Order: sequence, then C-alpha cells, then structure tokens
Amino acid sequence: MHPLTGLLATNFGSPSGVTTQDHYVRELWRLSGYFSVPIGLIVLGLITFAIVRYRHRPGEDRKPSQFQYHIPLEATYTIIPLVIVAVIFGVMYNAENHVTKVSAKPSVAITVDGFQWGWRFVYHNGHVQIGTGDYNDINNNNDLPVLVMPSNETVQLHVVSLDVVHTFYVKEFLFNRDLIPGINNTFDVNVTKPGLYPGQCNNICGEYHAYMRFLVDVMTPTQYAAWYANQPACSVTTAGVPGTQKGSCSAINAGADFTGYTQAPKG
Amino acid sequence: MKVESRTVLGAFSFLVILAVVYWVLVALHGSSTERSGIAMLVFSFSAYALLGTYLLAQYLRRHGIPRAEDRFDATQEDGAGVIDYFPATSIWPVAMGLGMVFGACALVWGLWYLAIGVVLFFGAVFGWVTESDYTEDVLPGSDPDELGSSHGDYASTGAHQDH
Amino acid sequence: MTILEERPQLPFEAHEPSLMEIVPGPRPRGIVKFVTSTDHKQIGLNYLFTALTGFLLAGLMALVMRTQLIVPNNHFVTENVYNEMFTIHGTIMLFVFAGPFAFAGFGNYMIPLMIGAPDMAFPRFNNLSYWLYLGGFSLLLAGFLTNNGAAQFGWFGYAPLTEAIHSPGPGADLWIVGIGLTGLSGIFTAVNIITTVFTLRAPGMVMFRMPIFVWNILVTMFLILLAFPVLTAAMALLWIDRHLGGGFYDASKGGQPILWQNLFWFFGHPEVYIIAVPYFGVATEIISTMSRKPVFGYKGMIAATLSIGALSMGVWAHHMYTTGAVLLPFFAAMSLLIAVPTGIKFFNWIGTMWRGTIVLNTAMLFCLGFLAIFLFGGITGVILAQPVLDFQVHNTYFVVAHFHYVLIGAVMAGFGGLYYWLPKMTGRKLSEKWGKLGFALLFIGFNLTFFPQHDLGLRGMPRRIETYNAGMGWNFLNELSSIGAYITALGVLVNVWNIFTSWRNGEIAGDNPWDGQTLEWACSSPPPDHNFEALPPIRSERPVWDANHPDMLTKVGH
Repeated sequence: MHPLTGLLATNFGSPSGVTTQDHYVRELWRLSGYFSVPIGLIVLGLITFAIVRYRHRPGEDRKPSQFQYHIPLEATYTIIPLVIVAVIFGVMYNAENHVTKVSAKPSVAITVDGFQWGWRFVYHNGHVQIGTGDYNDINNNNDLPVLVMPSNETVQLHVVSLDVVHTFYVKEFLFNRDLIPGINNTFDVNVTKPGLYPGQCNNICGEYHAYMRFLVDVMTPTQYAAWYANQPACSVTTAGVPGTQKGSCSAINAGADFTGYTQAPKG
Repeated sequence: MKVESRTVLGAFSFLVILAVVYWVLVALHGSSTERSGIAMLVFSFSAYALLGTYLLAQYLRRHGIPRAEDRFDATQEDGAGVIDYFPATSIWPVAMGLGMVFGACALVWGLWYLAIGVVLFFGAVFGWVTESDYTEDVLPGSDPDELGSSHGDYASTGAHQDH
Repeated sequence: MTILEERPQLPFEAHEPSLMEIVPGPRPRGIVKFVTSTDHKQIGLNYLFTALTGFLLAGLMALVMRTQLIVPNNHFVTENVYNEMFTIHGTIMLFVFAGPFAFAGFGNYMIPLMIGAPDMAFPRFNNLSYWLYLGGFSLLLAGFLTNNGAAQFGWFGYAPLTEAIHSPGPGADLWIVGIGLTGLSGIFTAVNIITTVFTLRAPGMVMFRMPIFVWNILVTMFLILLAFPVLTAAMALLWIDRHLGGGFYDASKGGQPILWQNLFWFFGHPEVYIIAVPYFGVATEIISTMSRKPVFGYKGMIAATLSIGALSMGVWAHHMYTTGAVLLPFFAAMSLLIAVPTGIKFFNWIGTMWRGTIVLNTAMLFCLGFLAIFLFGGITGVILAQPVLDFQVHNTYFVVAHFHYVLIGAVMAGFGGLYYWLPKMTGRKLSEKWGKLGFALLFIGFNLTFFPQHDLGLRGMPRRIETYNAGMGWNFLNELSSIGAYITALGVLVNVWNIFTSWRNGEIAGDNPWDGQTLEWACSSPPPDHNFEALPPIRSERPVWDANHPDMLTKVGH
C-alpha cells in the first residue's frame, strides 16, 4: 500500500472497533487528525522558527521591532478556527445521532446490572449470568461473568446500577455507558465480528473496582440461538461454578442470586 | 468604573443568553435532570447582575468625572493623599482562621469543636473590627500611639506633604 | 554592551522626593511575621511555599501509583491505599497546588506591584484566606491518620460512592471540609483581588494598560466567584446526606445521584480554567519580556481570555457525555468553541516572539515547554470534546494523558514564573545551569510519563485501577510511563534544590534583571514595605520599558 494512503487510512492510532458504529468513530478520528496534525505542525513550526531565527545572539545589539497588532492577521486566525470547529461539529452531530440511536425493535434485549464488584446479565426469559472477578488475582480470567450475544443483530443493553456509579466498557465496542442509580440507560450494539472481548467497569466504585471485569462472548446468530434455547427460564449461570442452577423467577427478582458474593447490592 | 462595569455586565449578558438557550434546548430535547444546570446558570447571572449594577452605579455617581486611575494622562500627584488603612500585622486573621478550622472539625468529629470555633471566630470578629477603629481626620505622620492600633500603617502618596 | 547585564538607570529615581509616607512601626521577624503579616508579599510567599509543599507531597503519591502500576498484578500497595493515593493526589494538585500557586501565590505578590498599589484592598482578609487554605490542606491530609483512611473515591467524588454507607469514616468528611475551606479561601481571595484591581490602581493605570497577567487573574477571580459557591453547596448537600439523613444524592430516598455530577462539574470545568488562565498570564509576561517586545494583540488577548472564561461556564457536561442524561450537541458545540480563543492566544504568543530578540534563559525555556505541551493537550481536548470519540476513551488513560498535558503544560509556565519572579521576591537569581538541567529532566520525564498514556487509553486501560491483567497489552507502556515518572521526580528535585540554594547564595538580581516592562520592575528587589518609593509615569501597558527605552516607546495607548 502506498505510504500516504496507508497513513490516511489509519485512525491516527486509534484501534478499530467491531461494531457497526466503528465507521462513524473512525470517520471522526480521521477528521480530527486531518485538522489537528497540520495545525499542530504549523504552530510548532512557527514557534521553532521564531526561537531559532530571532534568538538573542551574544554581543548582538539589535533593536527588536515593537509592533503590537495586525488586525487582518488576527481576524484570519480567529475566523479559520471557527470554521474548522463548525465543520467538526457538523460531522460529529451526524455521527452522534447514529451512535446513540436506540431501536424500537431490537433482536435481543439484555439487562446489565452492575454491583460492587461484579456483573449480572439478565436475559429475556429470566436467565441470569452472574459473577465477579477474582479479587486475589487479576490475571485469573476463569471466573469472569460472560455476556453472551449474537453478532450481526441489534442487541439492546439496558444498564442498571444496583448501588454506586459504574460504567459498562468494552474496548472493542469503542463505547462507554454509565450505570447511574436513577438514570435509565439503554443503548444498542451490533457486533460484526464474533469473538471473545474483555470488558471492565470504568468508573471508580470502591475497593475492588479494578477487578470488576467481564467477558463478552459474541456468537454467530445460529450459535446464539442454540445457546439461548439451552438456557431454562430463570436459570442462573454463576461464573466459576460449573453448570447452570435452576432458579425461580421471583427469587431472582428479589436478588437471591447474590447470596454467596462478598458484596450484596445495597438497595 | 466604565470598563469594570462593562466587563461584568458583558459577562452577565452572555450568561443570560447561555441560560436561555440551554433552557429552551433542555425543554425541547433534554432530560429532567438537567434542570440543575439551568438553576446554576440563573444564579450565576444573578450574581453578576448584582455586581455589575453596583459597579455601574459607582460609575454613574461620578457623572463622567474619571478617577485618577481612569485618566490616560494622570500623574502621581493626581493620586496624592491618604489611600487607606493598611495594617502591617494583625493577630485576628489567624485567630478567625483557627476558629473556622475548628468549625470545620465540628462537621467531621462532633459538635463540641464548634464551641471552641465559635469563641475564636466571634472573638476574632470583635478584635478585627476594633483594630481598625480610627477617626477620619487623622493624618499620616502623626504619632502612631494615638491611632487605633500601635502598629497601624497608613499608605499615601504624599507629594503635597510638608511635615 | 548587552542591556540585560547592566542594571538600568531608571530616570525617575534617586533625586526625586519619595512619594510614599510610611508611618514607621515595629517590624516583626521570623515566625511572627509569617503568622501575622498582612503584607501581600509575605502572604504571596506563604502561598508559594505551601503550594510547593503540596506539589511535592502529591508528587510522592504519584510515584507510589506509578510504582504500583509498573508491572501487572503488582502488590506494592493495597487497593484501598491506591484509591487514597489517586484521590488525594488529584485533590491536592488541583485545590492546593495548581490553582493557589498561580492566583494566590503569584497573584497576591504581583498584582499590587503591577498596578502600582501599596497593598491589597483588604490586607487582613488576605491573611485570613491563607489560614483557611492551610487549614483546608491540613484537614485533607489528616484523613491519612484516620482508621478508614483518607477519601478513596477519586477527586470528583461521585455520589453514591461518597454516601456514608459506601464511604464510612471521617476521611470523606475531612475531604469535604478540606475542600470547603480551600474553596472559601479562594472566594475571599477573589473578592480581595477584584476590589484591589478595581479600586487601587495607580494614577494613569487605566484598565487597558494593566499587564495581561493582571487581566488573566481578574478573569480567574470572576470564575472563582461563580464556581466555588456551587461546589460549597454541593459539598453541603453531601454532608447533609452523610450526617443528617438527607437524600439529595440517594435514589432510594427520592434523590438523584446525577445531581452531584451536574453540581460538581458546573464547578469542575471552570475550576480547570481557574487553574490554566493565570498560567497563560505568566507565560504572556515572560514571553514578552524575554522577547523584548510588547504583547502582540493586547486587546485580542483580553478578549480571548474573557471569551474563555465566559464559555467555560457552559461546557460542564462534557465530563458527563457517557451518562446518557445530558444534551450532547449543546455541550459539544460549546466545548469545541472554546478551542478558538485558546488558539488566538497561541498565535498572539507567537506574534509576541516574532521579530523580537529572544533570550533563551530558563524562564523562557519553561514557557516554550508550556507552549509545546499545552498545544498537544489542547488538541487532545478537541478530540475529547466530541461525544462520539469521548464514548470510546472516556475514563481511560487517554483522558489522564490529556489533562496532565494541559495541567502540567500550565505548571511549566508556573516554573518559568518562579525563575522570572523569584529574583524580584528574594533579590537573587536562580542558577541558570541547574535550571536548564531541571527543565530538561522535567520536559523529557514528563513526556515519557504521559505520552504513552495516550496509547494506553486507546488500548482500553481504564483510569483509577490499582492493577491490571497481564494479557491486555498494557505492560510495556506502563513500564515506560513509570520510568518517566521517576525522571520527572528528578527534574522536580533539581528545581527545588535550585530554589533552596539560590535563596541566599544566588547572584544578586537588582531591580530589573530581565529588562522587564511592567511596574513590578520599578521597585527594588525585594520591594520595600508598601511597594513603591517612586513610580514612573504610566502612559502605556509598559511603563518601565517606556521609562528605560525612550527610543522604543509603546505606540498604542501612549
């Protein structure tokens, strides 16, 4: 690939995402880069030129020119940045409408409950995937709760906090959304690449905030359908505990699946 | 006071516009939790309205006669005379500060700290006010022991002083 | 002959009668002076020392954090201690160091000098401000001595984590009152400085002849008056929640946790401009003096600063883009707009240097460091202003990198201010040799610490995590960043060493070692009581330059 094309095709360092939103994010990174790299280079270049060309050399007796203003120049460097930010805003507004759009008819709807310090994913039939990380060993990935979802379909996530502010963050989704008590937050993701993606809480929530991790298992629609068919209604899959326990829907609604965790949700 | 009042009233005007725009947009598209932002903007421009009106009144009071510091061609003689009372040292600020710190401790550890804090604070208020007790017709250069405090300092520009 | 080496002969000194009549009184020394003096110069020095102490303490906490993060799954400190570290590091750096160092340290010392006033309008009130500040700082630190430790919820303390049930113990309350006291101190300083600037200027010192530094501090004070009362209110509500059974931030009692975020950030965003704007002023003074030119676009600078101050009141929710509860387009537009006046200032600084005679001493080097670093931080700010991009990097190390670039960029200008103004305050210059070494170490160390953090954020590393999984691809960058932190610490130590040794042994500075242009260079170093024995005629924004260089008079305003 031609180097220039290659450079322009990058996101100026940002990783690619795996959702349908990736296209909008990438567009904005590029736009930001196209403006900020030249501007940064020009400003740095002017500063460097000034200190090299106009520095005081020992023994020099030059009287520096005492000009104080230049209205046309000042007007220019006021108006051009205004135009630039207007352009960025326009493109951004369009992207934002797409990224925050919530569908009325998603394929899959999952409730994501965050608590100190783990995650609980509740599916439409009441099936629960719940778990916390290993508070003693952050390298242990075996006991993390898994959020299972299909690829290439609109998955609607309704994020709820059971105690303090948390944030749902999956790096490859290029997306963060807060879990705030009292705020109903719903967003859509449509993942184009099946795979296993790590996720993490992204808002300080207490002592074991660093350990509040999860995994997202994106399966093809067929695989997902098969998996979902195998989850009895109101069953509970606990991370680190083999098998799925049969639960009762009322018990789950009352939070009974929290017993056994070091930190039950506080109201 | 022309520039001063215009600066503050300019900020006031901007904040009013900001509050109105935000109010309208929140009413149309925003969430109810953003009403706190409207409230804060309203208090902000009200604060500047207060300050700006005071400064404007000070400007208008002078009926266009500029103060020495507002005249482009003023000289040091124009500002001659007693400026103000500038005490060199004072124990009362640290006493009052201690009182307020104890008051803060009361918020953390228990009301009994407030007892100490209140005594210190109001004692300091009394001391502070009486320290700057001086009469209008005292001239700088007179015997400092006759002033309100033995270490009071007056600063003036004294181009006309003869003694 | 180089003008800078010679002590300029001010034409208005010596034979003219002294313009100040001072009633002599007993002059205190030592600890009594420190405690009771109402002289703005002493109080300014008090603030500078205390702020620098805070800087060193918070810097130590940063080193603890970087040591904990140098390898994955590290156990250098426990989770709670780490959370205390980043909370108190942020709180001290912002409330105790960065803001007060500039507006209360340099501001208190320099503003009366720059406008030709004998002192601040309310000298005892000024002293009170300092004690409230020191008291607040001490209470913040006292949290470490309590059983549950100091506050552990981050410097912005989101409810409901700060409620009594999730953060028991007095550490959180000490955080609340510590910030409350330093906030009160700031408000009192603002009242004092605004009154001084509006009523105590010397004859001929009209508003548009004041140095840019004074204008910047004035705008900062306006922001303080609007922002800090909101913070105090937010803290009061939190205290009521914690101690009186209130439910302002408790969803189970009908309150709204997000109310805290709205209140806090309405304060929090102006706060970062309260921090940055004074340093812009310091940089302007140094750049214009060291280039031996007037400020380019003086009125444009003032307009830009006023715009930045005004706009900063309308951008607070860009810290809340991911809450899903704020008007994204409004805040995006305002946040993008604020880049424009900042850009204007940059071009004006370049215009000030253009065709000047630039002396590249340590003060100027620090300002150049400020320009380079703040430029980069400003650009990442434009990226973060866009909600869609913020959705990706919110609360990751990308944000940490951004704000350290803008904050430490500003602090670089502050260090330049030390090299520029300490000779006026102490009568002795700092060592250029040690200064340049300190600058180099700081610049290299800082970039090594924080540049990799941009990539760390893009790779998904969240902030405020005490450790991380070894397989995330974050290991090498964390190592680099931690090594950079140690180099930065070395740079700080070199500068502190320089300050200590030069205080008594530095080269004598004289009245005007840099051929400065503004009024503070018209008096002796250090200045006498009530500042001025004589004042030059004030016919432009550069009265001392006009007096010293009648062949290069300032045209505008003359």
